[in-house]
Amino acid sequence: MKETRKWIFHRISAVILAPLFVWFYFAFISLSTKNYQEAIYFFENSLVRILAIVLFFVAFFHAKISLNEIFDDYIHDPKIKYVANILSLILSIVVPVIVLILLIYKI
Amino acid sequence: MTDNQNPLSPHLQIYRWHISSLLSITHRISGVINLFSLILIFSWLLVLSLGENNYESFLLVINSFIGNFFLIGFTWSMSFHLLSGIRHLIWDFGYGFEIKTANISGIIVIISSLILTVIFWLMGRGLI
Repeated sequence: MKETRKWIFHRISAVILAPLFVWFYFAFISLSTKNYQEAIYFFENSLVRILAIVLFFVAFFHAKISLNEIFDDYIHDPKIKYVANILSLILSIVVPVIVLILLIYKI
Repeated sequence: MTDNQNPLSPHLQIYRWHISSLLSITHRISGVINLFSLILIFSWLLVLSLGENNYESFLLVINSFIGNFFLIGFTWSMSFHLLSGIRHLIWDFGYGFEIKTANISGIIVIISSLILTVIFWLMGRGLI
């Protein structure tokens, strides 16, 4: 990805992420004192599921771009940097896809 | 590279910290911490799909003393990264670059992140 596009996508994802992450983290903190049924009840709303899925895709996309930038600054060995970037790419795809499957079929 | 005897820059042992550099590195660190809190939320969803018994055990862990310690830390990290991110976005629009303004906005970010953490935690736990 071109650096300018990366920069723009990073900012756009940040703006989308800010309200979503605060909302979902808040739900997590408040549901962590309640029981299983209440948590299941929270996820019965399809809007909640959709927003949670969007959150995970955007968050890991944002994290991937940021991690690449951090690796660029602190990892000097090109081979290690390459492996680190591949690992962050895999993480940023696998976790959101699992969340998608969980929220559509399992919870 | 190995016989290069020049000092590294910034030379951390004699480096004089400024609010700008402190916030810059803290923004990165809090971003990485947020990734861990996201992974915790991911495991919350994972455990939720495994049924009630597993979920209750998970709640026991995150409601323990150490669990709460991490959750409060994650709350601060989120608050800080959010506010510091807003500061970065304002810079991206070309405002607030003057040294004095940048220092003041930095202090505002630090103080408000602490206030936001307290408010967020108390509201999230239903204490206010």
